[in-house]
Formats: sequence, C-alpha cells, structure tokens
Amino acid sequence: MELVLTSVGSYPRIGDAPELQRHRRAYAQWERKEISEEAFRKVEDEVTAEVIREQIEAGVELVTDGQVRWYDPYSHLARGLEGVEINGLLRLFDTNFYFRQPVVKGPIRRKGPILRREYEFARSVSSQPVKPVLTGPYTLARGSVLEGGYRAFPALAMAYAEVLAEEVRDLAGAGASLIQVDEPAIVRYPEDVGLLQEALTSVARARGPARLILHVSFGDVAPLYRDLQALPADVLSLDFSYSPKLPRLVAEAGSSKPLGLGLIDGRNTRLETPEMVFPILDRVLPKLPGGAAYLSPTCGLEFLPRDRARAKLETMRRLRDAYLGGHV
Amino acid sequence: MSREKLGALGLDLPPLPTSTVGSFPKLPEVAEARTRFARNQVSPSELEALEKKATEFWVRTQEEIGIDVLVDGEQYRGDMVAYFAEIMDGFHLGGLVRSYGNRYYHKPVIAAAVTWPGPMTVAWWKWTQSLTDKPVKGMLTGPYTVMDWSFNDYYPSRAAACLALARELRKEVEALIEAGAKIIQIDEPAISVRQEELPFAIEASHLVTDGLPAYFITHACYGAFETIYPDMLGLAVDNLDLAISNSALDLLRIFEKDPFTKDLSLGVLDVHSHRVEAVEQVKERIMRGVRVLPGDRLWVDPDCGLKTRTVEEAVGKMRAMVAAVREVRREVGGAR
Repeated sequence: MELVLTSVGSYPRIGDAPELQRHRRAYAQWERKEISEEAFRKVEDEVTAEVIREQIEAGVELVTDGQVRWYDPYSHLARGLEGVEINGLLRLFDTNFYFRQPVVKGPIRRKGPILRREYEFARSVSSQPVKPVLTGPYTLARGSVLEGGYRAFPALAMAYAEVLAEEVRDLAGAGASLIQVDEPAIVRYPEDVGLLQEALTSVARARGPARLILHVSFGDVAPLYRDLQALPADVLSLDFSYSPKLPRLVAEAGSSKPLGLGLIDGRNTRLETPEMVFPILDRVLPKLPGGAAYLSPTCGLEFLPRDRARAKLETMRRLRDAYLGGHV
Repeated sequence: MSREKLGALGLDLPPLPTSTVGSFPKLPEVAEARTRFARNQVSPSELEALEKKATEFWVRTQEEIGIDVLVDGEQYRGDMVAYFAEIMDGFHLGGLVRSYGNRYYHKPVIAAAVTWPGPMTVAWWKWTQSLTDKPVKGMLTGPYTVMDWSFNDYYPSRAAACLALARELRKEVEALIEAGAKIIQIDEPAISVRQEELPFAIEASHLVTDGLPAYFITHACYGAFETIYPDMLGLAVDNLDLAISNSALDLLRIFEKDPFTKDLSLGVLDVHSHRVEAVEQVKERIMRGVRVLPGDRLWVDPDCGLKTRTVEEAVGKMRAMVAAVREVRREVGGAR
C-alpha cells in the first residue's frame, strides 16, 4: 500500500515571527507605492519558495505553490480574463475568509496564460513534484455575478470550463503530471452534478497525459459520493471532516478511482491522533484500486496560523509512517 | 411591537433611526500608539487617554452629523472576537490568519472552559454615554461568532462551545443593562455560515437575551440573508441588521412570501469601497426598505463597521446616509 502525502492548495504566507512577515510588509509597501510591482512580485517568489521548502521539510511528497499569489480562489483567475470585473467581498463558504466576487459583463476570454508561469516557477524551486491547483468552472460560476455575455448560469459555467481547459492544456504542456481542480460549490447544489459533469468533461479533454484530481471540500460530500465517482477525473479528493458517514460509504461502495483522503482538518488547530485517523484508513484503503491513495488536509491550510499549518503536515507524516510501519 | 418596547425603555427615536454598526477608523494617533504599545513604548494609561480622546472625537462627530443612536467607535478594540477572547478566561490568543487581501487577525484558541471575567465593555459604554444625551448602544460579539471565529481545542463540539459562550456572554449583557444601557447590539456576522447550525445559534441567542429589559439588535454580514431567511427570525432579538448595499436582494419578493416580523436595520453603505456614495444612491437603497416595511420599523446604517475606511471616507459616507434619510423622511412623510 502506498499513501502519498500531498497538500491541497493554499499555505499561510506569513507567520507570527517578524522574520516571517516579509510578505505582509511588502504587500503594504506595494499598496502605498513605496516599492515597485517587480519588487513585490520578487517577494512573492521568495515566499513561494519558502512555503514549498516548508511543505517538503514537513514531509509532503506532492506539494503546491501555496497559492501565495492568489488574492482568493476566485479573483486570482478572474483577473486574468476579459469580460470580468472584480466586485466587493463575500464570505468564502463557512470560513472566516473573504473573496472578491467576479462580475461577468461580457464574453470571457483569457488575456493570456494565468497559472503557467507560476507553475514553472514553483517547479524550479521544488525538489518534489508540484501540483497546480485551479478553482473549477462550476465553483467559479457559482461565485460570480452574471450581468452579461451569457444568457444563464449553465452557459457561464461552460464558458469558464473553456478557459480553464486552456489553463489545463498549458499546465500539462509545461510538464504538470497531476492537476487539481477544486469544486467545493457542488456540495451546496447537488442537483447540478450534471452540469458539473459537462463542464469537467470539457476541462478533462485538455489534460493530455496529465491526470486530473477533483477536490471537493467545505461540506458533506457523502450524498454526492456516487455521482462524483462518475465524473471525468482521474483521482477524487474528499474532505472527510463534515462527513461522519463517508468512511462507511466508501467501504461499502468502493471506488473506481484512487482517492485523496482529506483526513487532516485544515480548519481547526487540534492535531489528529492515530485513534482519529487509523480506523478510517483501515476501512477505506482495502477498497481502493491499485493499492494507492493520497493522504492530505481537508482543504488549503491558509485557515490556520503558519506554525499550526506546519504542525498539521508533520502530524500527517507521522501518522502515515506509523500506520504503514505498523501495517506492513 | 418594538416601538412600544423602545417607548417603554424611555427611548424616543425619529422614523428611520440612523446608527452605525460599531467600529470607526482608528484615529492616526491611536493607531500609532497601539503599535508603540505593542512594543512597550507607550504605557497603558497613555494609550487609554488617547483612546478616550478619540472616542470623544467620534461621539462629537456622530452628533454633528446627526446620527440618532451612537456607538463608542471601538477605538480600544482590535478585532471583534479577539477583544473578548483576550479578556475571557479559557482562550489563548492564536497565531495570525489572513481574512482577505493583506488583512490578518489573531484567531483565538479555546483551550479550556470559557468564563466571564467580570464586565468587559461596561466601563467604555458608561464613559461614552456620559459624553452625550443621545443613546449609546452596548456592543458585543455574539456566542456563535466567537465560537466560529475561534479554534476549538477544548469543547467536544461546536454547539457545546457556542452554548457555553452564550451563558457567559449573558452576564455581560446583564452588566450593561445594570449600568443603564437600553439598546444592545450583539454582532453575529458568522450566523449564516452553516445553515444546519442555525438551531443552536438561535438557542444561544435565547440564552443571551431572554427576559432581559433592553432593545436587542443583531448584526449579520454578507450573504446572511438569502441562506437563512426566514429561519433567522427565530433569533431572540428585536432588530436584525443586514447588509444590502452589496446585493441586489429583492426584499419585496422575499417578504411577500415570508413576512419580516422584526425591526430591520438596512445596511446602505458599502464599507469596503473607498467611494463615498451619492445621496441619491443611498436614498435608492433606503427606498428598497421603505417599500416593504413601515418607517417606524426600519433603521438605517452602514453595511458593516467602518473601521477599514479612512476618517474622511467614514465621515463622508455617514453624511451621505443622514442626508438621504432626511430626504426620505420628508418625502414619504415619515413624521409620526
């Protein structure tokens, strides 16, 4: 049995110690026009390298760039598109985090590649493989206001799917072998799983030799589990923290694809113990194809303080090593 | 009706009473002193003197603009949850977490049983009220929000943490009433985050306010309304304060289906925009409320605390709001 340790997305860009607050200071200076855009982007590069190193030191085997450059999961992508303006703040699901809402005014088109350069930079500073992360078309559409360009919500989701397909094609072309697409919004609208299927099909067609990970979080995924199995993704990554029934469901229904097991709560500071994690692994792992799975936090780690985020990743590695060590 | 309740409390407010949600921008000298205080370069009494001076500035400013129900402006508070967590027993001050853009806050950790340590907001309320004849609101953060905006390393569940906090926060409400507060606002911006948790959030609100003689307002933030209306009418308060300036909410349609049974505070200023609204625009937002509820059940305020704006922006926005309210009062004959 192989259990690959991976991050899911964001990573805290500052810590509590003054020397870990470089990004925050540079951001403020950039906003006050005391430093140039280039100077600020350079700090973003350095902090990206730093959080990649930190993930690797903590034991992560498939890292992300920590999404250090992302203002939030929506506007970072939307800013790269024609036809979209960025509006006021809205709460991100049930978090204490706010995102800026995209307002679609006309047909959306990429101004150019959005994530490719970021991926290439991350890879150049990482000794482990890097997994690029995109917010999925359905979730992007759900988080947007539709004011023009498309007659209705489904058309907007499909339009986002087209531009994200171009992103995926670029990322696969740049050498990404695993690409993650986040679709947390589907948990709130399970009746839209048909639309999600259609949108993801468009994105998946562009993946070439890369494999697509579909990540679903911020809600109970159990009612959707069977539907998610049918979606055109190569790996299904799930947040277990809202779903007391999910381990049993996976054990009963099995899985047609490798699973990402989001068992490390990215939203609370309490560290997981073997008693919390091992029984779920016992139940679920034998049902997975190919004897391989990913172990991960439930979501990006930016909802935790930096030291706790690192502690979570270290706990994840300790648990994995203890589990495999004791069960060989 | 709530007007009767206000009357019984000795409060005589005009139609469409104006108020603000709580925080005002820190005056530059307070912001600077807070930074230096953190480095031990300013004594607690020096800091407090500056905070009092700034509070007085905001009281005079609100009076001069013509706001009807005042707030103390929270010059002495950092974050709305951390302020209470720092004082209450059972919390550790956690590390920094980003809330948006370049804004970070210390997210508290519940590490032991939470306990009311004695009055937390009463001295500031008393002092502020002593400066003015206008009513000053008592202001605290509600149990659901304190729970949701903290990490929980102690209680077995989110519900258990929330209800424990409610029992302790009630003691603060009682202390405010004893000091003379008649209007008390209990902020619950997190109230809508998990619909399935609304029942215990409502249970907590009852624990905080049931049987207590004050006019209670609950402020909820972005996105609250659509997801938890009409269930949120179960909250044990007289007035629900909702942000509408950022949304295209059709209140008329919503209230036709499920009548709004409380007083409503309409948040009509976008506190995240630097732009000072035109009076006409604020009027339009107010009219969306006036069309659905009588003027004696409607209050008008900004969407949220104004602390993220500059002093000039905050003052400009409040002026636009009061000017708009005065025009609406004249036009719709809001006179009683």
